[in-house]
This record gives sequence, structure tokens and C-alpha cells, in this order.
Amino acid sequence: MNGNHHSNDRPAWINRSTQLLDDSVRDLDAVTLSRLNRARQAALTQQRPHAPRVWLLPAGLASACAMLLAVVVWQPHHRSETQPSAAPVAVDDGDSEETSTEFYQNLEFYAWLDAQNKGGDG
Amino acid sequence: MAEIAGTMTGSQLEFARRVDATSTNQRALDQFLRGVERRALRMAELACGSRDDALDVVQDAMCAFVKNYAAKPEPDWAPLFHRVLDSRLNDFHRRRTVRNRWLAVFERKEDDDTLDPIEQAQDLQDPGPLLRLAGSEAGKALDAALKALPLRQRQAFLLRMWEGFDVATTARVMQCSEGSVKTHLSRALAALRRALEDHQ
Repeated sequence: MNGNHHSNDRPAWINRSTQLLDDSVRDLDAVTLSRLNRARQAALTQQRPHAPRVWLLPAGLASACAMLLAVVVWQPHHRSETQPSAAPVAVDDGDSEETSTEFYQNLEFYAWLDAQNKGGDG
Repeated sequence: MAEIAGTMTGSQLEFARRVDATSTNQRALDQFLRGVERRALRMAELACGSRDDALDVVQDAMCAFVKNYAAKPEPDWAPLFHRVLDSRLNDFHRRRTVRNRWLAVFERKEDDDTLDPIEQAQDLQDPGPLLRLAGSEAGKALDAALKALPLRQRQAFLLRMWEGFDVATTARVMQCSEGSVKTHLSRALAALRRALEDHQ
């Protein structure tokens, strides 16, 4: 299998042929040798094992923690932003205008009542 | 080393073992491929007719060999590599035949089944062709004669006579019967001899 099978039991021209074939591959030009080298390296590269992806577990945990933290931090802000808008809705019960008019109409009565209370205390 | 091993987890140890085994295997593979690549290129060049195509075929064969057969025992590598290469050359030949079919409609193909068996008999006393030609002339004559051979005949000649595979291994490489190998080789030798004699 080494290519140098120049045997005596076969015609001399066949031995000469194999010798010529050997000669033809001995002196290849540099470009061809370089391309052969690259081809060999490309073939060998695909065999190299890939490192086990042990970094995936801590990376996944870190991502989960970061997301949890983001949710926790964001939630109170979200509440504080929504609460003020909830308050006016609570007082805005349809007849608020009527209530405030009634309040102003009875304002003198409330003032008198207040004075009476202060006088009673005093 | 033991300390380093002590600090490694199970998966890291397993990975280190795999890297070690793979680098040993890669060195052996690299050495093997270095040993066969030039001859593979020559075979492919004779079949493809161009060095660029031949380099592509050889790279393709190397990749397929490493991918599929790197784990096989080293003594099996040579026949397996040549089997992959032979398969790639057949594919190339088939594609080119289809591509050139329309161009070669009117081209008369030589029928190599019409060889006279008497012509094929080898005269061992006759030094034969090539011996009477000088180096470069002989090389060119051989190159032309080999290129003129049908693919299977050329492969049989190169694998048996140049690579030195026995009939059974050549049959496995070419994925045919031993009888077919003998037939292809016999026809190849007759055609080569005739072509080289005509060249003089």
C-alpha cells in the first residue's frame, strides 16, 4: 500500500508507470501543497470536540435572577404611578358637582356649627 | 496534575479525556492524510481533468472520511479513504456526464467491450512501452493514456498497481465484485499498453 510495489513478476512497463506516477506527486508546487494542507486542516477541524456548555446553567440562573429583580423593582413604581390616578376616580362618583354645590350652600351653617362647638368647649 | 484533576468536575474530566483521546487520534489522522493526499490528488486530477476540481474532490473526501470513519481502526483507514474518494470521483463523473450529455450527442463513444483477448495477453519478454521514452516524455504519455481510460478501468489500475491493494480490497474500495476488478484491470492494462505503444 505504500505505492512502491515494483514487482519482478509483472511487466517492466507497469513498474515504470508506477515509478512515473510516484515522480509526478513528488514535486508539487507550493500553491497546491498549501491548498492540500488547508483541505486537511478543514477535515481535521470538524473532528475536534466541543467543550460541554457548563456555563449555560449559571448564565441561565443569572438571567432568571435579573428578570426577577427587574419585576420586583418595577412593580412598586408601577403601583405608585397608578395609585394617584385611582384616587380621583374614587371621588368622581357622578354627583360630585352636586355635592360640592350643597357644601358651599351650607357653608355658613358649618361655620356657625363650628363656632358653637368652640364656644361649648370654651 | 492530580491536583488539577481534583479541582475539575466530572464533565470537565470527561471533556479533558475526550480532548486527549481526540488529539492522539488527530495526530494519527493528520499523519495518515499527509501520506495519502498527494496520490489522492493525482488520482482525482486524472479523473476530473483539472487541478481545482481535483482539490475540491480531495477535500470533500477528506472531510467525509474524517466525519464517518475516523473512529475505525487505523489499518482500515486506507481502504476506507479510497472508498470515499472513489465514491466522490464516481459522483463527479456522473455529474459531468449529465452536464455534457447534450454536447456529446454526436460523439461516438469507444466501446471497450470489443477488445481482442489475444491482444490483451502480456508478453513478459518485451520491455514494452514507456521504457523507450525519456522521463518527461514518458510522464506525458502515461498521463494522456491514463486520462483516456474509462473511470473504472483507471481506478482499478491505480488502486491495484499504484496503491498496491489486493483484488479483494480493491473490490471493496470500488464496491464491485472481484471478477469485475480483474476485468477492469485487464482491460486497463491492454488499453494502456496499446496507447503507449501508439504514442511512440
